[in-house]
This record gives sequence, C-alpha cells and structure tokens, in this order.
Amino acid sequence: MSEWRFLRTVFGNARAWTGVAHLLLALTWAAGIALLALSGWFITAAALAGAGVLLGLDLFTPSAGIRAAALLRTLARYGERVIGHEAVLRILATLRETTFERIARLPIPEQRALRSGDLQQRLTADIDTLDAVPLRITGPMTAALLAVLAASSLAGWLAPWPAPALILTTALITGIAALAGARAGRARGKSLVEERMRQRVGLLDFFGGLTELLAYRKARARQRQVEEREIRQAQRLHVQETIALISEQAVQLLVAVATLVMLGLALHWHAAGTISAPVAVLLTLMTLGLNEALGTLPGAGWRLGESLQAAARLQALGHETRPQSFPGGAQTNPLPHPKVEVDHLEIGHAADHPFLGPLSFTLEPGQPRVLCGPSGLGKSTLLATLAGEQTPLAGMIRVGGRAIGELPEAERYRCVAYLPQETVLLDDSVGHNLSLGRPELSDLDMWEALEMVDLARTLRREGAGLDYPIGEEGQRLSGGQARRLALAWLVLRDAPVVLLDEPFANLDAATVERVLERLRPWLEARSSVIVTHAPEQLPTTWPRIDLGTDGRSR
Amino acid sequence: MHPSQGSSPSPDAFLSARLRANRRWLWLAWSSGLGAALATVTVAGAIAWLVHQTLIEPSAIVPWFWLGVALFAVVVRYSLQALGDWAGLQLARKVRREIRDDLLGAAVAAGPLWVAAQGHSGTWATRYQDQVEAVGGYFSRYLPALGLAFLVPLALLIVAFMLDWVAGLLLLLSAPLIPIFMALIGMGSQQIHEAQQERQHRLAGHFLDRIRALDLLRRSRALEAARKDVASAAQEYRRLSMRVLRVAFLSSAVMEFFSAVAIGLVAIYVGFALLGFLQFGPAEEISLFKGLFVLLIAPEYFQPLRRFAQSYHDRAGALAAANALAPVLHGHSAQSAPAGTLRPEPQPHLLRLTEVSLHYRPEDTPALDQISLTIAPGERVAVVGPSGSGKSTLLAVCAGFLTPDTGSVQRSQSARHFAWIGQSSHLFHGTLRDNLLLGTEPGTADETLIEALETAGLPITDPMLPEGLDTRIGEMARGLSGGQAQRVALARALLSGSRLWLLDEPTSALDRDTAEDLLQRLLKHVRSHGITLMIATHQEAVWTRMQRIIDLDAGRLRTTVHV
Repeated sequence: MSEWRFLRTVFGNARAWTGVAHLLLALTWAAGIALLALSGWFITAAALAGAGVLLGLDLFTPSAGIRAAALLRTLARYGERVIGHEAVLRILATLRETTFERIARLPIPEQRALRSGDLQQRLTADIDTLDAVPLRITGPMTAALLAVLAASSLAGWLAPWPAPALILTTALITGIAALAGARAGRARGKSLVEERMRQRVGLLDFFGGLTELLAYRKARARQRQVEEREIRQAQRLHVQETIALISEQAVQLLVAVATLVMLGLALHWHAAGTISAPVAVLLTLMTLGLNEALGTLPGAGWRLGESLQAAARLQALGHETRPQSFPGGAQTNPLPHPKVEVDHLEIGHAADHPFLGPLSFTLEPGQPRVLCGPSGLGKSTLLATLAGEQTPLAGMIRVGGRAIGELPEAERYRCVAYLPQETVLLDDSVGHNLSLGRPELSDLDMWEALEMVDLARTLRREGAGLDYPIGEEGQRLSGGQARRLALAWLVLRDAPVVLLDEPFANLDAATVERVLERLRPWLEARSSVIVTHAPEQLPTTWPRIDLGTDGRSR
Repeated sequence: MHPSQGSSPSPDAFLSARLRANRRWLWLAWSSGLGAALATVTVAGAIAWLVHQTLIEPSAIVPWFWLGVALFAVVVRYSLQALGDWAGLQLARKVRREIRDDLLGAAVAAGPLWVAAQGHSGTWATRYQDQVEAVGGYFSRYLPALGLAFLVPLALLIVAFMLDWVAGLLLLLSAPLIPIFMALIGMGSQQIHEAQQERQHRLAGHFLDRIRALDLLRRSRALEAARKDVASAAQEYRRLSMRVLRVAFLSSAVMEFFSAVAIGLVAIYVGFALLGFLQFGPAEEISLFKGLFVLLIAPEYFQPLRRFAQSYHDRAGALAAANALAPVLHGHSAQSAPAGTLRPEPQPHLLRLTEVSLHYRPEDTPALDQISLTIAPGERVAVVGPSGSGKSTLLAVCAGFLTPDTGSVQRSQSARHFAWIGQSSHLFHGTLRDNLLLGTEPGTADETLIEALETAGLPITDPMLPEGLDTRIGEMARGLSGGQAQRVALARALLSGSRLWLLDEPTSALDRDTAEDLLQRLLKHVRSHGITLMIATHQEAVWTRMQRIIDLDAGRLRTTVHV
C-alpha cells in the first residue's frame, strides 16, 4: 500500500525518537507483568517456605526484583510519555512542512479550491490524526509484540511447550482481530468522513439560508431533513463505537480465559511434578498481565484504518516531492524589456462562449491603460490572463518579445506585479508582509512605500510601526487600510509591468486622490493596466479601453 | 423571553442540566461497572482458592468446579464492562441529539437576524458538529469514570479489609494520596489542556493562513521562505509544548509510582507474613488464599483511578465546548413560533403594526420603539434611516422572524406568504433548478423557471450557466457573482407568486449599473402585478421611486412622507 510509503517518509525524521519511545512502552508493560508475576511467585514460595515445604528461600532477590520492577515501571512510563510526545511533535513539524510543500506545488486552481474553510478543516484534522500514529498505533503494536515475545520465551524456558503456545495463540488471535478491525475501520471511517462533509454542507445551507427557508416556508422541512441526516450519522457512529468497545472487551475476555487455561495447565504440570508451585503461579499471573498490552491492540487497529485514510487524503494532495527549493530568490537577472504585446486575445471558460475578445493592444511605459466597462464582462479574468495566471482561449501575450506562458514562474513574477481584486495578506506584521520575497529590503524602503500609499502616518501614530500585527485576514486593519498595504506591497515588487484590479476599492475619494498623486509618476514609469468600474477617478490623459464597446464578443 | 436575554449558565451547570433527563443511563453505567468489579473479586477469589487448595491441601479440591466458577465470573465481568461502556455511549448519544435538535430549533424560532448575530454559518456548523461532539466525551467517559473512581476502589477496599486489614490498610494509605494527586492532575491537566489547545490552534492558524495566502506568496516569490516559516513555527511549537509536557507527565508518573509501589508492598508484606516473620495482627493468620486474593485485586483497585485520570481530558474538551454552546442555547430560550402571534383578520390593510416595541437585550435601548404602521395592498414603501436605526429589525418583524416584546402585528391572509430578498442572497448547494424551486412548488416546469430567470435578467444562455438549469451553484461549486446571485433571488421571488415582497437592501452590495438594472426589472414586475413592496434602503435612487417613505431614527418612526 502506497500510504505506508507516505507514512514512512513522514515518520523517517523522528525514527530514533519513536524507536526509543516504543522500547520504553514495551519496558513499561514488561515491568508491570514482572511486578505481578514476581509477586505471585514470591507469595507462593513464601507460603511453602512458611509451611516448611520449601527450604532455603532467598528473600533478598525476589523482594529486590519487586522493588526494581515497581521503580522501572514508573521511570519507563515517564520516559515513554516524554519521548513519545517529542516524536509526535517532530512528526507534526515534518507533516506540516511536507503538506505545505505538496499544496504549493499543486496546479493553481486546485490550490485555490483548498481555500474553502471545510477542506482546510479536513486538512488540519488529517494532520492531527496522523501525528498520533506513533503513540496510539505503532507504539502499542511494537511494544505488545515485544512483551508477548518476552513472556512466551520465559514461559518456554520455565514450562513445557503448550505454555508459550498458549500465549502466542492468544496474541495471534488478538492481532488478527485488530487487523480485521483496521479493515472495517477503514471502510466505515471513509463513509463517516464523507457523510460528515455532506452533513456540513447541509448545515451551511440551513444556517446560511435560514432567511430564504423561513420566507418560502421551507424551514421546517429542511430542519427535519437535517435532523434525519443527523440520526443516520449518529447511528453510523454508534455502530462504529459499539464495535470498538465490544472488540476491546472481547480481547480482555480472551486474555482472562487464557489465564484460566494457563492456570489449569500449570496446576496439572505441578501435580505431575514438571514445574514447581511458585512457577505455576508465576505463569498464571504473567498471562494475566498481558491484558494491558493486548488490550490496546483493537483500538490501535481501529485507528490504523483511520490513519491510512488520512494519509491517503494527504498523499492525494500531490506527488512525492524531493526536497528542493521553490523558485524565487535573488533579483540578479537583468529586467526584461517592459513592452507588452497583446495579440488577438480571447478569454473565457469555453471556446464557444468567450467572455471577451479578440483583443489587441500594446503596453509601453508612459501611458497606463484604464480598462473599464460594466461588471460581469471578464475584466478581472483578462487581468489574470495578462499576469500569466490563466491560459487564454486564443491569441498571444508577449512580454519583452517572449510569450508569457514560456516564462518560468519566478521570472514572470519578476517582471509582472499583479494586484488582484481581492486583498490577501498574511497574518503577520506589516513589515513581514511588505518584505515577502525581498528580505533585502531596508526599513527605509518600506516606509517610503507606505508613504506612497498614505499609510505611513497612521502606522507611526499607532506606535508599533512596521511591527504592527495586521491580524488574521487583515482584521486589525480597515478595508481601505488593507487595500493600501497591498498597494505598498505591489510598489515594493518593483516590476516593469504592473497590473492593478480595482486598486482603490474601499477608499474614499480624498484618499484616492492623495494616493494617486503620489503613485502617478511610479505608474507612468512602467507598463501599467488598471481595471476599474470608476474610471472618472483616474487621470483623463490615461487611455481608456471600454470593454463594453471594444470587447467585441458581446 | 427574548433573544439573548439574561446571563448564560456556567459550563458545568449547562452539562449537568443536560444529564437530568438521561440519568438512568449513567446509573446503568455505574451499576454495570460496580457489578464488573464484584465479578472480578469472584474471579480473584476462585483463582486464589484453587491455587491454595491445590498447593497446600491437594486432596480436598475439585479443580473443574472452581475453574468453571472463574470462567463464568470472567464472562460476566467483561459483559458487564461492555454494557457499562455502551450505556455511557448511549447517554452521550442522547445528549448530543438533544443539543443538536435544540440548536436547530433555536435557529428557526429566533430567526435569521439572531442567527447571524451569533456568527456566520460556518461557526454554526462547527457548533452543531464539532462542539456537540466534544460535549459527548463528558457523558460517555468522564461521568461514568467519575462515579466508578469512588465506587470500585471502595468495594475492593472492603474486600481487602475483610481478608487482611494490614493489606487493606496498605491500599487505603495509597488512596488518600491519590485523590490529592488526582486533584493536582485535574487542575494541571485543565490548564495544560487549555494552553495546549490555544497553542495548537495558533499553529494550525499559521499553517492555514499560509495556504490561504499561497497566491500572494507565489506572486511575491516567497514560497521557499514560507515553507521554512511553516517548519520553524512547528518546531517552535514543539519546543514550547515539550517544556510544559515534561512537567505535566510527572503527575501520571506519580500515579504509576503509587500503584506499582502499593502492589509491591502488598506482595512483600504478604510474603513475609507467610514466612512467619511478622508476629502481629492478622499477619499470623494469613494464608496463601488470602495473600493471593489481595494481590490479584490490588491492580484492579487502581484501574478505575487510571481511567478517571484519562477521562479528564474529555472533561476539559467538553467544558470548552459547553462554554461556547451555553450562551447560544440559553440566549434564545423558547420563543414562541413566529406565526403564533400573528392574528389573521379579514381587513382592508395588508399589514398593521400597533405600538410595536422590541429590545434585543433588556438593558439596551429599544431596537424598535412604539412603531405603529399600516401597509395597504399594492403600496410601495421605502424604509430609510441611518445604519442601526432599525430598518432590518422592522422588516424582520413584518416577516415574522422576530416577535415584538409589546404591541401587535396583524396581517391579512395574503400577507402570510411573502417573498424576501436580502443584501446578499444565499445560494443553496445544488443545481440552479433546486435553488429556484425553493421559492415555489416542487413540480414547476422548466420553462416557467427559465422565464423567471429571463425576467430577472439572467438568461439561461449566460456563459456562467454552461449546463442551464442543471448548473451546480452554491457553496463548494462554481460560484455566481454577487449580481447574478441577486438575480437568482429575484427569480425566486417572482416564482413564489407572493403578494408581499420584503426587501432588505437588495441592491446595496452591487455596482451601480447592475443595481439599476435589477431595480428596474424588479419594479416593473411589482407595478404590473400590483405587489406590495417594503424595501429597506439607504440609496436615494431606490427610495425616490417608492410611494411612501418611512424614516426611522434609533428605532422610532420619525416621519412618513407620501410621494
């Protein structure tokens, strides 16, 4: 199964930590078994010695052994907890990095699909499921195997072959049951997760569309639908949980029955003179002690199914990547010539339904183009196509004589700076946002850009300056401030071609005027295109392309 | 009582109130757990007796009988344990179901304004799915474990004292220490849980923020830096977490230490007593039977305590969830269904409000203050006023989404069916056809739907609708623009055949041209069909085309202007 390969890659970095944690878990269980078995042995031996049957009992060794087992169990448990969590957190770090990388290498539309809140939630949940693998799955499995091997070796040394055979059979049955559980868990887990996603869509519709549902008197019917879906989902979950708890108790029962069988065998061998009485008790209690180790296996199997599911989903995010850097870095290449030629361009979703086109024009520094026209014409799509982020249906875009599709990504964004309609900023400081991809920028550069967009004064007044945290999705800024920060980011790209989609949305007229006055020379020094629904805000000397009349297709 | 009145109960009170009707499952869980413990005592006794008799008095034993007793007790024990766990699951399932039904009921009863005030639909979905799920652990694991952590050790202690009071005392002495440590574990684990949750949440937020901003990062050529950033944030999280966890795990180590030492002490005491080295109290009379019996129940004595310690995490998670759910469910309380207060009377007016007042919270100024208003059939009325003046509230009262505190709303029969268009209309997950049928009867012909779309200005040949009525729209499917969504909403209103249209800023989120086009189409239909229109607006282009303008200011009716 390829999920295993994926898991191996992810867990590879923390292999030493997980290995030690597993050993310590085995030691914890072995110490627990030893404590019980040795205590039983000691009591029986003492009873016989007290009755005068057994002579020359060494008191020191067993009682020291009991004390050692008690102490060892405590220490091993603590070590297992600490080192196990260290391993988990290391794996978590690797998982996040790999997942980020996989997503970043996906085709752009797939990346954008991942911005939906629900898929993001799924992603986080999958990562959390996987990071629990060493503590809850591989740990118990490995340690149970080690504990069983140790116990059966000891049984084989002390007693005839049926003793180890009994222990191994018990473990084998438990193991098979756990694997069957893993299979069932996987199939059921998959349908549970899918049904949960569907349920969520239904809930988003119910709560988000409540006004419409109430107005058109469909709310009660919808409410019943949601309730019925929940009843079915709860039923599925309940079946899964019930199977899990029954298998857990069944394993405990199996171990208990094995203990009684071992007791019967041991008493029989004792009567036959094969083994001594203390050893008979030791064998029995040792078998009983295995319940701690074997009892964890059904749960581990169950979770294994879930984890393989999660791994498969994360893996489906993209191909395995060898560690390699993303394009980017230094700005050493000479800037290409900023001339942009647009030649018979057609854009849209389907060839027989083009939004726009054919369009032809040339961009050169000095005269920013203003693209205007009613909404829904595809102005934004045109701009994204000019930025090379969308493939045109037909026609050609050349930058400095080269087709834009042929430019490698890094080079393309080196010469084209593109501000889309929607403002996206990182949940980080102003400075971090501005210096993205340009770590060499000085504070002075950034303040200059902030000055250009009329944000410097506000930030200075705030006190934190470039360190001001803008919050998740720019929540600690107003809509207009966020827009101007994005504009400052654009200015700092310092590219020869500039594409602006509604750059002054959310700004009041006075601010637009101030910002425009400062940006004007900068824009005019470059090949610029500005999409707007309010062309009257922009200098009349900039040539207009009204797509409503020049867009041809309509 | 009215939406969001009064203070919400504490999370503990919220959870125990949920237990009340379902207490019998908890009793079942507790009694099964106790029964399982007694069966365990039987098993231990049978084994000890069998060993004792075989080794010490081999002649007087029927081994098969005692093995049979032990086997029977073992089956009883694990069956009861399974039953107890199952009862816990049932309890959690019932409670979850109740809370979920209450969430839906609260939303329907208190109406969309209240729902929106409590968070967007994603928050509600998370409440319904994840937070209610988290509450379950409190009932399925924590509560059963809590009772059994007292009952089972107590029962086993009584047995131990009956067998040998010194051994019992050894177990008892470790017991008073354990509650102290449990309390420490409890307190510690709650704080740790919260701090850890917070940190984990922030880390997940950081990661998701970078995924959201991938476009920005790519355009900045900063993907490489962002990858390192993601990795170093996770490493930082690891360092901070480990610093806390290293201390936190000490408490579970202490727990382990006491149980291991208690077992060891019992064994050594019994061993030395059997050897005859101890010449006091019960030690002289101890036998292999008693000694082995006590030794076998000692691990069981600590088992419920261990389970209880584990369930503490469930409690912490449930309390956090209850903390988020309680205000929502309490805030609404049982508001009567909107239709109940609306008395239909055969009258010439369509809608009459008499001295209607409404508070969102008792301590706030009223959202509506003594509003009296009559709307005649076929009238076109604009509701204007600064934001926060109560325009939306007035519309919601007219719709029946909100019930006034005082005053009455009377509506004629034909006003009971109304169409609604809000600022941004909700598109349901599904096909365009599903979305249109929402406003009308299920069997409506496609031609009728297409005609309505056409009238609303969204021809079926639009390139955004490649599959016509079968085009999938709504969440997670290809989206329509804001203007197109409003056109779908208008088509829905047309299809509904309602005589009363209530519109809450239907064009304010659209650009000028689209808004104008939509308004013209809307008014054309309203005029030609004599539909009554109430429209909340702040756009002059809208209100100037109505027949009457109602001007609200801070919930009061300032003026009514007839145009």
